[in-house]
Amino acid sequence: MSVSTRFKSGRTGTGDAYVSDHGGSPHAQFMRLTSYALIPLGALSAWWILGIAGKPLDGVRAEIGRPIPALVLLAFGVVGMIHARKGMDDIIEDYVHDEALKAQALVANLWASRAIAALWVVAILLIAAPK
Amino acid sequence: MADADTDRRAARRPLSPHLTIFKPILTMMMSIAHRITGAGLYAGMALLTLFLLGAAIGGGAFSAVSWIASGFVGNLIILMIVWAIFHHLLGGVRHALWDRGLYMDPQGRELLAQGTLVGGILLTLLLYIFKTLAS
Ligand code: HEM
Ligand code: HEM
Repeated sequence: MSVSTRFKSGRTGTGDAYVSDHGGSPHAQFMRLTSYALIPLGALSAWWILGIAGKPLDGVRAEIGRPIPALVLLAFGVVGMIHARKGMDDIIEDYVHDEALKAQALVANLWASRAIAALWVVAILLIAAPK
Repeated sequence: MADADTDRRAARRPLSPHLTIFKPILTMMMSIAHRITGAGLYAGMALLTLFLLGAAIGGGAFSAVSWIASGFVGNLIILMIVWAIFHHLLGGVRHALWDRGLYMDPQGRELLAQGTLVGGILLTLLLYIFKTLAS
C-alpha cells in the first residue's frame, strides 16, 4: 500500500490533484520588500500629492519640481506601480476564472502598469528639469 | 483521466467565502479595505499621471486635466488618494507585524484593525491641517 498523497508539486513531478506551483512564496516576498520601500516613499509622497490640490500651474510645478520631492515621487511611482502590478495580478487571479480572459487581463495589467509608471516618470522629469 | 475528472469536480466546487452568509467583522472589513484601497490607488495613480502630464506640458493640456486636483471633485479625488495611501500603508504595516507573529491574538488583531481604520483617517486629517496651516 502506498502512503504517498495525490498532491504533488509541478516542479517535483505531476500529481493528479491541484497544488499551486506558481511561485506564491517569491510573490509574497516581493510584495513585502516593495511594501517596506513604499512605507517612507508613500508617507512622503502623500505630503506632496496633497500639496498640489487646488494649485494653479505655477504652484503645482513649484510644489513638486524641486529635487527632493521630484526624486521621492519618481521612486514612489516606479516602485509603487511594480508593486501594484503584482498586487493587481493577485486580484485578477482571485476573481477571473475564465482562463482566456484571465490571460488577457494579466497582459492588460502588465502594460497598463508599465504605461502609468513610464508616463509618471516622463511627467515628473519634465516638471523638474532645469529650465 | 484523473486530471479531467479533478478539473470537472473543481469547477463544481462552491467558492468560499460566501459573501452573503458571514457576519461582517472589523478585521475582515479591514482585509477587504486593503484590497479596495490597493485597487483604488492603481486608478488614483493613473489619474495623477494624467494630471502630472498636463502640468508638465502646461497651457491647454493643464486646463484639460486640472479637474483632477482642483475644484470640489479634484479636492475630493486628492483627499481620497491620500487617505487610500495612509490606510493601505497602515494595512501593510499590519501585514509586516503579522509576518513576525506579533499581534495575532484576538485583542491584538482587533487593535490593529481599529488602528488601521482610525489611523488612516487621522493621518489624512492631520496632514490636511498641517498643509492648510503651512500654506
Ligand atoms: C504606501 C505604501 C504601501 C504599502 C506599505 C503597501 C503594502 C502592501 C502589502 C503588504 C500588500 C500585500 C497584502 C497581502 O499580502 O494581502 C499590498 C498589496 C497591494 N498593494 Fe500595496 N502597499 C503600498 C502602496 C501601494 C500603492 C501606491 C499601490 C497602487 C498604486 C498599491 C497597490 C496594491 C495592490 C493592488 C495590492 C493587492 C491587494 C490584494 O491582493 O488584496 N499599494 N500592499
Ligand atoms: C464577506 C465576506 C468576505 C470577503 C468579501 C472577503 C474578502 C477577502 C479578500 C479581498 C481577501 C484578500 C485580501 C488579503 O489577503 O488581505 C481575503 C483574504 C482572506 N480571507 Fe476573506 N473575505 C470574507 C470573509 C472571510 C471569512 C469568513 C474567512 C474565514 C472564515 C476569510 C478568510 C480569509 C483568508 C484566510 C484570507 C487570506 C488568503 C491568503 O492569504 O491568500 N474571509 N478575503
